[in-house]
Amino acid sequence: MAEQINNMPNEQGYFGEYGGSYIPPQLQVIMDEITESYNEIKNDPAFIEELKYLRKHYIGRPSPIFYAESLTKQVGGAKIYLKREDLNHTGAHKINHCVGEALLAKRMGKKKIIAETGAGQHGVALATAAALVGLECDIYMGIVDIEKEHPNVARMQVLGATVVPVTRGTQTLKDAVDAAFEAYLKDPVTQLYAIGSVVGPHPFPMMVRDFQEIVGIEAKEQFQEMTGAGPDALVACIGGGSNAIGLFTAFLEDDVDIYGVEPAGKSFKEGEHAATLTLGKPGVLHGFACYLLQDDEGQPLPVYSIASGLDYPGVGPQHSYLKDIERVQYKTANDSEAVEAFYTLSRVEGIIPALESAHAVAYAMKLAKELGPDKSILLNLSGRGDKDIDYILANYPPED
Amino acid sequence: MNYSIMSHMIASYPDERTAMQVAKGLSRGGASYLEIQFPFSDPTADGPVIQEACTKAIENGFTLDRGFTFITELMKIIDTPVYIMTYAAPVVYIGVAEYLRRAKASGAAGCIIPDLPVGSDEGMYQISSELGLDCVPVIAPNTSIARLQEILNVGPKHIYAALRAGITGTKTELTEDSLSFLAEVLKYEVKVLGGFGIRTREQVSALDERGVASVIGSYFVERLESLIETDADIEQGMSDAISSLV
Repeated sequence: MAEQINNMPNEQGYFGEYGGSYIPPQLQVIMDEITESYNEIKNDPAFIEELKYLRKHYIGRPSPIFYAESLTKQVGGAKIYLKREDLNHTGAHKINHCVGEALLAKRMGKKKIIAETGAGQHGVALATAAALVGLECDIYMGIVDIEKEHPNVARMQVLGATVVPVTRGTQTLKDAVDAAFEAYLKDPVTQLYAIGSVVGPHPFPMMVRDFQEIVGIEAKEQFQEMTGAGPDALVACIGGGSNAIGLFTAFLEDDVDIYGVEPAGKSFKEGEHAATLTLGKPGVLHGFACYLLQDDEGQPLPVYSIASGLDYPGVGPQHSYLKDIERVQYKTANDSEAVEAFYTLSRVEGIIPALESAHAVAYAMKLAKELGPDKSILLNLSGRGDKDIDYILANYPPED
Repeated sequence: MNYSIMSHMIASYPDERTAMQVAKGLSRGGASYLEIQFPFSDPTADGPVIQEACTKAIENGFTLDRGFTFITELMKIIDTPVYIMTYAAPVVYIGVAEYLRRAKASGAAGCIIPDLPVGSDEGMYQISSELGLDCVPVIAPNTSIARLQEILNVGPKHIYAALRAGITGTKTELTEDSLSFLAEVLKYEVKVLGGFGIRTREQVSALDERGVASVIGSYFVERLESLIETDADIEQGMSDAISSLV
């Protein structure tokens, strides 16, 4: 079975019964072109070399692994190690796939690269990659997120991207996806829609995973070198699931417990969380099949998380599959646990995590206690928290 | 001269009573087919006019039960064949077989679900042909001939040709490209419905000359909105709107 997982998806983009391509025909032709171009360049030595070069000299890879000794002591349980994706250029894992997508767009002769963004991390990373390879860039963002993530909006503008405010619906990530989709449909010839996670129609869940896989490949080698063994558990937060797939992929065949952490928001009431794999059911949205939060009529439910990068009513098709075959266990952390973890990691290790990543920290702290001191946890610290500081200070000021 | 038009409207928009008047008006004014959209929150192939109408219809309490009941009631008073148009999400949610069974029971002639393309249709074309329901595949100018043949292999009675890429609403110039694309489709034994940005009698006439029926959507939604604003007779207004085109 493990071997099968690594051969996924199939040619039609399915991971088991999830993924695929549920899109109007005018878009399918474009997706086929992207698949074809991607399949060509991924084996092209020149492309591989260029990507390798940029990973090392531009992104700053490999990102280190840090043994969070003080955090481990404070929690009193399994040793917690952090894969420092927050140290990448632009401060999160998103740059890994954005550089790949920008190179692909350039190779396909596109003039512009467009995308949606939630917390702004994908938007900043894409604007950066666009500046690097010389492409125009439009980023669609809900106005709720624009207000919350102001520093990232400013960064995108400085980088030369146009931030397009999205005012429809809940004015967050899902609506930004709709707006970007619509803009893409209007002109799929000169633009490439660089989807920001392992979601969307085939080939995006596969392609973004392939670009993120480097995280786990490095981590596996680094962890072995550092400790002489493999980790007992992996932990990563899940919105669409790109950083999690990045860490997990290289470990899927190994003897290691894997945990994905979803946002439980304010409560498990409708509209107050985004725990898609925990509470959702299989369905179709935005061109692919996955677990979904839907109402009784099949309409996507409003979702919420303190972390703008996690509030999406769907989730990557590969995660949906990994849940069904029970290879990965999907857990949750709520807003207050994430905020507590945000402060804890900042205070004891001097590392300010993104609120998204703080969900993984929160669950890892819980898990460390359960596992006990003989075990080890490798956590993907997917992004840094600078972007969240204003929001945290305004809403959860430090107590002392 | 009577041209063949598939007129589009949205169930429960702006409310059920008015929607019924719209349907009656379009039918009376000479529509050959009614395409009734069951609103979904993320209508990815639709432009702003239809998107906003769908959002309002959902806010006004559209449910599948109400949608199917609307068709059942409508079929008691009109003879025009009705096609339910919607997106994959709500269909897959209750199950393709169940959705089609309910569509058939309501008296609909068929379904148009653009994001359940042949091959990724979750059994829709198989089940619909068993039920005697006419599911209409959608093609676009960039659809290849090989793909067109694959689609025709499922034996549709109608095929919906989007006359350009993009979303619904904006006016389409019938260019050499879109017309030669139609010429290709017309070689086959299937009734062609041409849509996306059709809003004038000249366009309708140009399509008719080639044996293609026109699908008209955003134009009628806009007309409906101006009728509501001026407090005019909806049924009469919609009837007039279509009879000036047929």
